[in-house]
Amino acid sequence: MKQLINLEINGENHELAVEPQDSLLRVLRENLGLIGTKKGCDTGGCGCCTIHVDGKAVYSCMVYAMSVQDKSVVSIEGIAANDKLDPLQQAFIDAGAVQCGYCTCGTIMAARELLATVSDPDEEQIRHAIAGNLCRCTGYQKIVDAIKLAAENSA
Amino acid sequence: MTNTTVLGKSVPRPDALDKVTGGKQYPVNVVLPGMLHAKLLRSPYPHARIVNIDASAAAKLPGVKAVLLPEDVPQRKYCPVYFVPTLAPSMVQDMLIMSNTVRYAGQPVAAVAATSAGIAEQALELIEVEYEELPAVFDPDAAMADGAPEIHEGAENNVAVNPVVAFGDVEAGFEKADHIFEGTYQTQRVHTCYMEPRVCVVDSDTGGNLTVHSSMQHLFGLREKLAFVLDMPESRVKVIKPAYIGGGFGGKLDIGYIEPVAALLSLKTGRPVRIEQTRYEDFISTTRNPIKVYLKTGITKDGRFVARYAESTLDCGAHATHGAEVINVHGMFGILLTYPCADQHWEGKTVYTNNMIGGGYRGYGSPQGAFAVESQIDEICEELGFDPVEFRLNNSYKQGDPHPFNPQAKLDSYRFQDCLQQAAERIGWSSRTPAGSDQNVKKRGIGLGCQPIWVSGCVGFPDIYEHSGAIVKLNRDGTADLSTAAVDIGSGQITTLCMIAAEELGLTADQVRMTYADTDTVPFDAPSHASRITYSAGNAVKAAAGEAKQRLLEVAGGLLEASPDDLEVRDGMVCVKGSPDAKISVVDVVTRAEAPFVVMTEEGPQPTNLAEKGTIIGLSSMAPPANPSPASVEFVEVEVDTETGEVEVLRVVFAHDLGKLVHPAGAEGQVEGGFQQGMGYALMENLVFDPDSGACLSSDFLDYKMPTAVEMPPKIESIFIESDEPTGPFGAKSLSEPCVTVPAPAIANAIYNAVGVRVRELPITPEKILAGLGKL
Repeated sequence: MKQLINLEINGENHELAVEPQDSLLRVLRENLGLIGTKKGCDTGGCGCCTIHVDGKAVYSCMVYAMSVQDKSVVSIEGIAANDKLDPLQQAFIDAGAVQCGYCTCGTIMAARELLATVSDPDEEQIRHAIAGNLCRCTGYQKIVDAIKLAAENSA
Repeated sequence: MTNTTVLGKSVPRPDALDKVTGGKQYPVNVVLPGMLHAKLLRSPYPHARIVNIDASAAAKLPGVKAVLLPEDVPQRKYCPVYFVPTLAPSMVQDMLIMSNTVRYAGQPVAAVAATSAGIAEQALELIEVEYEELPAVFDPDAAMADGAPEIHEGAENNVAVNPVVAFGDVEAGFEKADHIFEGTYQTQRVHTCYMEPRVCVVDSDTGGNLTVHSSMQHLFGLREKLAFVLDMPESRVKVIKPAYIGGGFGGKLDIGYIEPVAALLSLKTGRPVRIEQTRYEDFISTTRNPIKVYLKTGITKDGRFVARYAESTLDCGAHATHGAEVINVHGMFGILLTYPCADQHWEGKTVYTNNMIGGGYRGYGSPQGAFAVESQIDEICEELGFDPVEFRLNNSYKQGDPHPFNPQAKLDSYRFQDCLQQAAERIGWSSRTPAGSDQNVKKRGIGLGCQPIWVSGCVGFPDIYEHSGAIVKLNRDGTADLSTAAVDIGSGQITTLCMIAAEELGLTADQVRMTYADTDTVPFDAPSHASRITYSAGNAVKAAAGEAKQRLLEVAGGLLEASPDDLEVRDGMVCVKGSPDAKISVVDVVTRAEAPFVVMTEEGPQPTNLAEKGTIIGLSSMAPPANPSPASVEFVEVEVDTETGEVEVLRVVFAHDLGKLVHPAGAEGQVEGGFQQGMGYALMENLVFDPDSGACLSSDFLDYKMPTAVEMPPKIESIFIESDEPTGPFGAKSLSEPCVTVPAPAIANAIYNAVGVRVRELPITPEKILAGLGKL
């Protein structure tokens, strides 16, 4: 039985009809067309669907859409400001951290929480921040380089 | 080395901006008007006969538009592998889209298309299937034993294929040996773990023509296999090239159940049908086949190989699929051709069991061979006191030797020895200490693993497609469009091919754009696999760009009143060599070529030159000239905790002989990502199955453990040994697969050097190390 809910996504309010069991991932992709958030497993194991809820990086496949009605949701589509890429997006391009790219948006969102709280993270902090984001292409090395670069460029 | 202006410098990937902002063009995002969603019902039993299926309740569920049962599908047996002709004699045609015989737990037995995936899932629960269970067998040795359940009619002892390859006289070879070493090495079942699931959308028109979107590595293979299983002409199947896919690694090199099922449901309903696999379905759809290798090697007292005997038993699961070819690549490139040895005998067996089916995976049989061969070399050196680097140097092929796989060709650009020497120096090999000599609780060790001979594509392999094509078209704004069926599976094929086209055309990398392709509009191409794109597709792209450039120079020559042979393209200008002022822009030449023949001037209409008219375009469709071998070497330093058995990889140095280095950042990415896969293979990854039911127990990323950023070493150092491969585009050959093959033996040998424990069965878990230390 569908229910009407209000969600704040990337600063915009949306009134949506959702099933109680619909994950936030499903609503982002299927109701709102925000397809930058990817489904890699749907079981909370890969991190491809990482988004922010009130500034915290979470797996959107593990969150019911109904549970975030009074919260602020940000997806990859909401992080570029004034037509300028987020420093992490630019750094991922510049450091060669993108291969197949399927994990990229989720990993950027995970790293973004880190950079919001730690301006000059060390390697260990970076690696732990993205430990919940699996990548099969890069071996993470250029991802770590990109996050360092973004931190430098944001300083 | 060939002088280049574009190649050899890292550029931003053209697809990166799209991917960091959301990545709209993955096949998983394809949505068509009126699209239905289908789901597959899968058998809970590993071996059974279907007695009856009742889907009447499912068909009545509101929203259900079609149901597909085994009786509804063409019973044409096929081999799903994309890169071989469907009825290739070297492969085994033993699959059906749906069958009344179930051979593994998870085999599809019915499908439903509905207006939503949720309704399709509900409908599956309403389908009643009556099974007659049959005895199942999961171990390949048990499957070959007398009295084992028969999995496929006519496959004696459940052996699907049984290749034997021999050189010289192996018995005479062993008589020359001063020492003989024997060992059995077992690898496990692992998954490629592409991040984008297998997904397809198939649409049909009123004429019964199909249009297919799919996350896969080969347009033309999908077209051929789909047309075959549906018994329709190939020309009625159009496969759209995805702009990119979310990883493949060999795991999307065969037609799945999903494309034929979606096609049949679309033909039934007249609507587009989408099927997306769950991660569980992905885990049971493709795997690197486990292989058990018995390896016996004869050595002279001065450390030369004189004889080698090997038996490899590959568990292909319920159907042969790739296992019929993996076994051959494994035997040749994993064992026989690795180091020169005159007298060799190898026998492979691809064995049916009631396990999940196998697939392709980077290395394609080579990782299983390298684990055996490279581990045993370490054992030989340890026992006889040889230095493992010197031993390999003394036993290797050398530049200029005849190619061991294709003796008409020579190893022209082969630099294995440089790889060994430079990487050994970088890791500090000379300061390596004897095995187990570290006195700390956490002990350090260094080991190496090699892939001495690998491929740049599949020229020379029986029954395997290996040609490529490209279309290069110049635009009036001075840019070029490149169109090819080579899919970018993540490893940067777009970047590499655009760079090669730009180099040939005299443009910058960002002036060449990879554009749309489908099976109707571009020449045939073999898949993105076998480390082939840079070399094989690169040669085709260079040829097409060369043809376009020749036309450009001809038209420019008419305008500059110069011979095309005296012209060159530089910085967007066509110039007369040696006369810097005699030039015309590429923009003006291309514009002129497409301009009306008669131009209106102040003096009235003026005809131009008919011969200069026409789009400036080049086309190629060709087989590559050869199959040059790259070589690679990896050194790894590990630290083993003797209290917990845990292994930490501290340092990795990888050296690779790749001809011309095309895109440095892309090449490093292959090495770094390859190490993640190889390290997972060595230490943790394992698809685990219930021994009684055959059900997959590691069917999500919570149970299937692969390396995260935290487990990975801080740095993977790449050394690229460049050379000029005479048959390659601008001297290039290949990279990719050896990056995945060498880590497991290097890590296994480093663990031995650290703690003196030899583990011959992957993955090398803490339990196995503790058992080796006598602590478990």
